[in-house]
Amino acid sequence: MRRASLIEKDAESISTLKDLTNVFESLASTQVAKMKGKVLESQDFFGLLWERYTSLRIDPKRRITNRDGVGNNGRNAIILISAEAGLSGDLDARVIETMQNENDLSKTDIVVLGSHGASQLSQRGLTYSRFFKLPESDDFIDVSPVIKAVLPYERIRVYYEEYVSLGSQIVKSIDLVSRIQDMSHEYEEGTMTDYDTIFEPSLEEIAEQMEETMMRIALSQTILQSALAQAASRFNAMTMAEDRAGELLGEFKLEFHRAKRSESDRRLREVLVGIKKKRREAAAGA
Amino acid sequence: MKKQDKVKQINVIARAPFKLYFQGTALSLSATNAIGKFDVLPGHADFFSMLEPGEVYIEPVEGEPVVFNVSNGIVTVRSDEVMLFANM
Repeated sequence: MRRASLIEKDAESISTLKDLTNVFESLASTQVAKMKGKVLESQDFFGLLWERYTSLRIDPKRRITNRDGVGNNGRNAIILISAEAGLSGDLDARVIETMQNENDLSKTDIVVLGSHGASQLSQRGLTYSRFFKLPESDDFIDVSPVIKAVLPYERIRVYYEEYVSLGSQIVKSIDLVSRIQDMSHEYEEGTMTDYDTIFEPSLEEIAEQMEETMMRIALSQTILQSALAQAASRFNAMTMAEDRAGELLGEFKLEFHRAKRSESDRRLREVLVGIKKKRREAAAGA
Repeated sequence: MKKQDKVKQINVIARAPFKLYFQGTALSLSATNAIGKFDVLPGHADFFSMLEPGEVYIEPVEGEPVVFNVSNGIVTVRSDEVMLFANM
């Protein structure tokens, strides 16, 4: 049996760990609340903008897109959104596994956002073509360099984590490429064409700029979603760690009391043996 | 009895991803696009424009004017419903 003083020392370390996980748990909980509000605001903004974007109609013959001539040797691009640091459970590992299962990675270039995802890819022997740090601020997410990197690809898929509830986060993927809808043969109510709307600059120029803007906003949305899911996952991981630390602390306390009793029993035995010895010596001397 | 003219107005939503600048009825909205400064007044034709960096000025039906700066954005007008999306 280990000595009581050693067990006490270990218990103190676990107690500190329990306090730390508690702090991290509180931080993650605050972050979840903050992020949730931002995600909802951003979704609302994106919804309204999407409604306007999809109402644009242009003649297919005149459709201009800045993605004309894309191809990149038939290779596809994947944007993998991960965490900047660990402590968020197995979420990033799940995203990578899903990406591996759903794609032929020999024909795909991976662009990774977040240091944790980059290190997880390296550990699995997977190479990535570009790495970007996650934006430091949630208030302004500049994804322009990422969009610039993936724009030459015809198919751009984003893998990220989505918050369902505090206890559940799922892996999701979206196709980032969305083209302006062609002018339909039948006039739909709510559409905006250059027959009935003034466009400044021209509809073609707006369509071209909007395509990239919508891609940028869609990617920003997935980054926000991912950050929310990671905060929730971190909260869960910290709750589990705190529970485990609590259990360990209980086990250590029990072990400590056993060790203490054992040590006092041993001392008592030593005293009794000493007394007996003294008695025997006294009896022998008499 | 003299028939009272109804005040013409536009419904405006002006927002950025995480900020609502204005939502309500207004008499006018002014902003800048590639051509220059423009105003949206009640009865404006349907309109879709990319915004240039500059000041946006909204004159509400009630209350003080709302003024803010944008770095980019779009403004759409459809049947007196104005939506301004800023700083995207």
